[in-house]
Amino acid sequence: MKRIVLLILGILIIGSSNSIFAQDRIIRGRVVEEGTGESIPGATIVEIDINERVINGTITDYNGNYALKLTSSQSRLKYSFIGYENKVEEPGDRTEINIELGSAAIALEDVVIIGSAKDPMTGASQRDRATSTVKVDLSDISNVSVTSAADALQGQVAGLDIVSGGAPGSGSQIVIRGLGSLGDSNPLIVVDGIAQNISSGSDFDFGSADVEDLGFLVSIAPQDIKSVEVLKDAASTAVWGSQGADGVLMITTNRGSKGKTRFNYNYKMTITQAPPSIPMLTGNEYSMLMLEELHNAEGAFEIPDEIANDPDFYDYYNYSANTDWVKEITQTGFSHDHFFKLSGGGDKTLYYVSLNASNEIGTTVNEGFDRLTTRINLDYTLSKKLRFSVNFDYTNSYRDGNWRTKEDVTGDGVKDILNVRRMAYVKAPNMAIYEHDANGDLTGEYFTPLESFQGDGAVYFNPVAIANLSNWDVKSNKFQNSFVLKYAVSKKVNIHETVSFQYEGNKLNVFLPYSALGVDWLDQKVNYASENNSNSRKISSRTLISYAPISNRTHELSGRLMFQVDQYNKEYAKIETRNGPSISIVDPAVSAPVNKLASGSSATRAIGSLLSVNYKLKDRYIVSLIARADANSKFGANNRMGFFPSVSVAWRFSKEDFLQSAKFLNDGKIRFAYGQAGKQPKDAYARHGIFNTTNPSQYIDGTIVIPTQVQLTNLKWQTIESYNLGIDLSMFKNRLSVTAELYDKITHDLLWKGYKIPRTSGFTSLKWYNGGKVRNIGWEAFARYYVVKKKDLNIVVNFNISRNRNSFLEFPANFNNIRGDVVANGVFPTQANIGQPIGSFYGFIYEGVYPTTEDAYARNEQGEIMYDANNEPIPMTFTDGTLFQAGDAKYRDKNFDGVIDIYDAYHLGDSNPDVFGGFGWNGNYKNFKASMQFAYRTGFEIVNEIAMDTEGMLNRNNQSKAVLHRWRRDGQGVDNPNMLPRAYYLHPANNLGSDRYVEAGDFLRLNNVTFGYSLRNNGFTKRINVEAIEVSINLRKILTFTNYSGQDPEISQVMEDPFWFGTDNGLTPTPRLYSAIITVKF
Amino acid sequence: MILLLVVLSSVKSCDWLELLPPDGLVFDEYWKTKEDVEATLLGAYSKFAIMDEKLFLYGEIRADMIDADEAPNYEKQIINSSIFSNNILADWMDFYEIINYCNNVIELAPKMYEENVDPTFTEFQMVSLQSEAIFLRSLAYFYLVRVFKDVPYITQPTIDDNIDFYVPKTPGDSILLYVVEDLKEFSLSISTDYGSNEKTKGRATKGALNALLADISLWNFQYEDCLEYIQNIDSLNQYYLMTSTTWFDIFQPGNSLESIFELQFDGNGQNNSLYDYTYNLDYYVSSPNAIRLLDPELSRERIRGFGSISTDFLEYKPWKYAGVAPDQKTARPSAIRKAANFIIYRYADIVLMKAEAYSQLGMFNEAEEEINKIRSRALMEPLTISTSEDAFEDAILEERAKEFAFEGKRWFDLMRMGRRNDFQRKNILIEIIIQDANSTQRLVLASKLSDPNGWYLPIYEDELERNANLVQNSYYVND
Repeated sequence: MKRIVLLILGILIIGSSNSIFAQDRIIRGRVVEEGTGESIPGATIVEIDINERVINGTITDYNGNYALKLTSSQSRLKYSFIGYENKVEEPGDRTEINIELGSAAIALEDVVIIGSAKDPMTGASQRDRATSTVKVDLSDISNVSVTSAADALQGQVAGLDIVSGGAPGSGSQIVIRGLGSLGDSNPLIVVDGIAQNISSGSDFDFGSADVEDLGFLVSIAPQDIKSVEVLKDAASTAVWGSQGADGVLMITTNRGSKGKTRFNYNYKMTITQAPPSIPMLTGNEYSMLMLEELHNAEGAFEIPDEIANDPDFYDYYNYSANTDWVKEITQTGFSHDHFFKLSGGGDKTLYYVSLNASNEIGTTVNEGFDRLTTRINLDYTLSKKLRFSVNFDYTNSYRDGNWRTKEDVTGDGVKDILNVRRMAYVKAPNMAIYEHDANGDLTGEYFTPLESFQGDGAVYFNPVAIANLSNWDVKSNKFQNSFVLKYAVSKKVNIHETVSFQYEGNKLNVFLPYSALGVDWLDQKVNYASENNSNSRKISSRTLISYAPISNRTHELSGRLMFQVDQYNKEYAKIETRNGPSISIVDPAVSAPVNKLASGSSATRAIGSLLSVNYKLKDRYIVSLIARADANSKFGANNRMGFFPSVSVAWRFSKEDFLQSAKFLNDGKIRFAYGQAGKQPKDAYARHGIFNTTNPSQYIDGTIVIPTQVQLTNLKWQTIESYNLGIDLSMFKNRLSVTAELYDKITHDLLWKGYKIPRTSGFTSLKWYNGGKVRNIGWEAFARYYVVKKKDLNIVVNFNISRNRNSFLEFPANFNNIRGDVVANGVFPTQANIGQPIGSFYGFIYEGVYPTTEDAYARNEQGEIMYDANNEPIPMTFTDGTLFQAGDAKYRDKNFDGVIDIYDAYHLGDSNPDVFGGFGWNGNYKNFKASMQFAYRTGFEIVNEIAMDTEGMLNRNNQSKAVLHRWRRDGQGVDNPNMLPRAYYLHPANNLGSDRYVEAGDFLRLNNVTFGYSLRNNGFTKRINVEAIEVSINLRKILTFTNYSGQDPEISQVMEDPFWFGTDNGLTPTPRLYSAIITVKF
Repeated sequence: MILLLVVLSSVKSCDWLELLPPDGLVFDEYWKTKEDVEATLLGAYSKFAIMDEKLFLYGEIRADMIDADEAPNYEKQIINSSIFSNNILADWMDFYEIINYCNNVIELAPKMYEENVDPTFTEFQMVSLQSEAIFLRSLAYFYLVRVFKDVPYITQPTIDDNIDFYVPKTPGDSILLYVVEDLKEFSLSISTDYGSNEKTKGRATKGALNALLADISLWNFQYEDCLEYIQNIDSLNQYYLMTSTTWFDIFQPGNSLESIFELQFDGNGQNNSLYDYTYNLDYYVSSPNAIRLLDPELSRERIRGFGSISTDFLEYKPWKYAGVAPDQKTARPSAIRKAANFIIYRYADIVLMKAEAYSQLGMFNEAEEEINKIRSRALMEPLTISTSEDAFEDAILEERAKEFAFEGKRWFDLMRMGRRNDFQRKNILIEIIIQDANSTQRLVLASKLSDPNGWYLPIYEDELERNANLVQNSYYVND
């Protein structure tokens, strides 16, 4: 890879120097505006050889002066500057050439026809857009220590809800205008016009059990990104048809620009720090708590050796520690990021080459992320009519992670995700990290007993051992190559042909050595090694023909026809072995006693076409119509086609005569858009009824083939229909710009993955099912104001706010909206209800404790104690018959029946934010610059599963310091709703899913503080021969205002089904980042 | 552009978007040859075989012949009659998978034959395969009715998402009526022989079909019908009682002359699960009652005792799936470790069914003769039973307990007895079940069993959630 980059670099350097006929002659001069004689700083002067190639170049200084070393007397010089006509001079024998450039309306028009100012897909310029889109300029991103574009966008765009992951290399959850789909609602990522959707897909169980991240955002070097455009409503995403239903992020990368070759080197050093963890009990406090817990539950009991603190116990030294497990697996993270770019070009060729290497060590031990990316963007002008671009990028990344597992810890079938951080919270703190022998000497091994006081050594693993010894590593190679040919048939007709190839290969390596777990040699987990390989390829081609028959001051009419063909292929292979021969053989390709092989492949094809018409009258009235049709091989012939129309209109009222007197108004536009967009299921072959062999494959001696998948005759497109009403204002000499929008987005024929059907059909589920509706309705506002706009001092403030309300409008017929009415410790009953948002959850209302057993008598609506037939007071009971007693948790008895059961559950909240956004300012004074950006997210609830694990006091898990405030004797907890119940081993009801663990996740966060200084054009930079040096300090996420008691309210989560709700289960929290950044330009 | 042109030229027919999965056949490609029909039918047999442990459990776990102290919790809960609708034994998925495979065969085989896609597919073959599917589907429903009483009755294959998935329950009595009709319709077209002994014993035959009909009529207390079906079996002259010395050949090597229908295992890929559960893992061991009935030292059950349970140093483990001979010592060698077939019907069953039908019709001499055939084969002295239905019922029940120990029949025998004459003798059932329970448990168990609805399992909780048209068995509603 590097070799290719060097080769290309070499070609470029040779091409631009071309010093064979070197003839040193310096030409000086000044470039001024024709007529006024004012100097033009920044104008480009290039030397063109007889072959019309640019071989050298420079730009004018502040006074319009320039000096250029001429390499050949045969060359000509070309002078250009945007907005002026170009001029070409034959230098002859001259050593001084002064030039006057005339302003050029024609030249600007020329640019427009080539199409760079207008979006090639819609044919509308940003200014004339009637749909809901936001463009964010990220060209200054190199001064901020973000590792992906998602990071940089957080809190910047109204309607764009981003939750970033804490672990290095983990993706972010991006939701545009609320959850509109079941499963994932991730937007489509488009990079330089190429849709990046090859790796999404659930055809294979890849076992990564991780947040499905938007890997594409992680794999692009943020410094390469010039701008990101967010397409929010269906009218704007319509051009992306079947893929953009959940919104589109259009990323534009930097390209070369005319002028001399520019080098840019950027280095960032970042220190990351995890937010403070929840304080946990020490080993001694833990032993005390356990004694109390067992005593309360069992009365007199035999004290287990592990908590007896008995020096004669052979494991005494292993069970008398005060280990802070969380601290042991937490570290200060550190990262380096080197970025190098080279860009430039002449009249014919523009080039941009970049190289980025970053290395990140996370805040949890053994988490890290390495990335190497290169990007080459070339533009070549073959003739005035024909332009050709090639984009090439390659990313190699390596994500280092820790083993995690799904275990049925409670024995009731509910699978909990156990990761090292969660385990560190619950692991008994009186256990030692390293094993001691009976004399107290270290044995050199991790302390991983088969059966500890807490239980099975495979479930209650040693988190430090797992973090240090296990692997859960993802290696990834991504490659993309695209060719774009632009041909101007005439001034009115353009053809735009794009062909792209994408390849992505991923490898997941998992290894769990024997020494990290407390298991015996025969256990299936011993030396577990697996390797998952997958690769996906996409080839797509797109032909766009645009026709602009009328373009004058009054009328502007243009139309486009687009035809697109895509093909995706995927393959995977998996090797898995267990009980491998050694703890140091990580490779699963050894002959271990148990092994498993699997492989598969799939292909998908899609055809799309688009017809659009744009019309503009007097620069005031804008109408745009788009009709997009898609066909996809994932659907059967009957439902294969999807038709997605959209229409948008805008009125630029500021151009109306009656508003011409309103001088403060520079631009004002009201716009309305309606559109539809589609979404297809992920699996390639879900629609087919499939017959397959089984295991065993024979009965007696005959082969078996059985139906394994139900044919989906009714599978069809999920359609998102959206309405958008917006206003754009620009006022006070464009110093204040405001955008406000109202939207209503309804998803029809929701796609349900793995829709459960009665087993009497012989199947458990339909792979996909269309049914039901979800609605997202809301408003957004954005404002930016240039407080000061002067040459030396600029201050800009910005603010955005978004309100979204999500609700189910309709369920499929026969859908059971109640799932799991289990009432048990640690479980929240789940329901999905019409009118309520996705991610709603139910549970009990916690009202503190019963101070005495008398207080635990059942009461009727009047608050009077209830009596039975024998005139005995009826105690409150739990569903299983347990009587509540003094010190037990008190839950509100909703129906006053004296029994705490499913009928007492209340709706406790949902995981969707109601209001979110951000605000901040940035400014510069001479060479100093500074900025500050806040992000906020409010109106959503988090189920704090870590608190649930660590405040229940009914098992042998370690508990947080909060439990020191627990009920111990009669009478405590009167009128104190915050009192914790008594410690009681295996109490069936003291830790039910209740509002005790539901917390508002609202937060306001100082996302970004930057302070920078740049040196340019002064004596120092000249002496060391550089153009500029910029240094800056960047602090990210250092300050958070929240009442959330967990480690971090920003929790990456993925909605798996309509019953999903957001829980904090102890993934690595988003760290605080402190960076120093230096950029050198020369 | 070139790619586009290539694509455009191939797009015309829209076939370009018709992609088929590389692994697995799609519906349209399947059902092309008679082998396809047979392959799906064999899937139904295989599924029945895979669920051997379940068939064993449905017939034994609530009865008095096994203890299951080492078994998983959900099984212990059933033993203690603390049965909740989340117990996974209440999951009827396996049966309905079998039913779906059979429905595919029953529906699509005639269609295929009519469309003549496979010219070598004769009507005789078509009907024959259909008859086997009818037999397997009927057997599945018979199990379902005995285990759950009322269940959804489904006769259409689940081919695509256009069918109604939300089928309510049909009364078990009606289901059995339909089943009997089906079986009678196909009783003539079913084969009697499949060429090899394994297939003739391992696939549905005229004998098996009539045995199932006899069993169902006995369950429905239609004794004349039962005798008629048994007559059909006898007239085949295909099945004989094994001799005393060769009795254990029924289980090892299996597929004996006595066998009518047994699910086949070869121990080499097609493995039973009962070797592990009855021998290796000790999930299911003989109950005190089984030991009382079968212990060779006490009751002089020299043949059946030695063949049914192992000696005390092996904790009276069931021996039929684990032993190589009735010596109570030599376990199966590794090559055939998991090869013991699961016997659904053997001729001894027919003999005792006959005895039961005769005795219930008041033909006590004939009944006694049949019982004593089994006893003399077991080298036990003949019985002289007082001439009352109840006395015969008790004798036959005990004889069946010993003859079919651990063969997954006992609970259904007890239920048949308990249900007879409008639950006249349900207390006997209760007494038998509670006899070995500890004193505190006995009252609880007895009261739980006093409602016959509780003899059936509840509908699985998750299934109720999936299908709102299902109504839970009234016994379990207030849990």
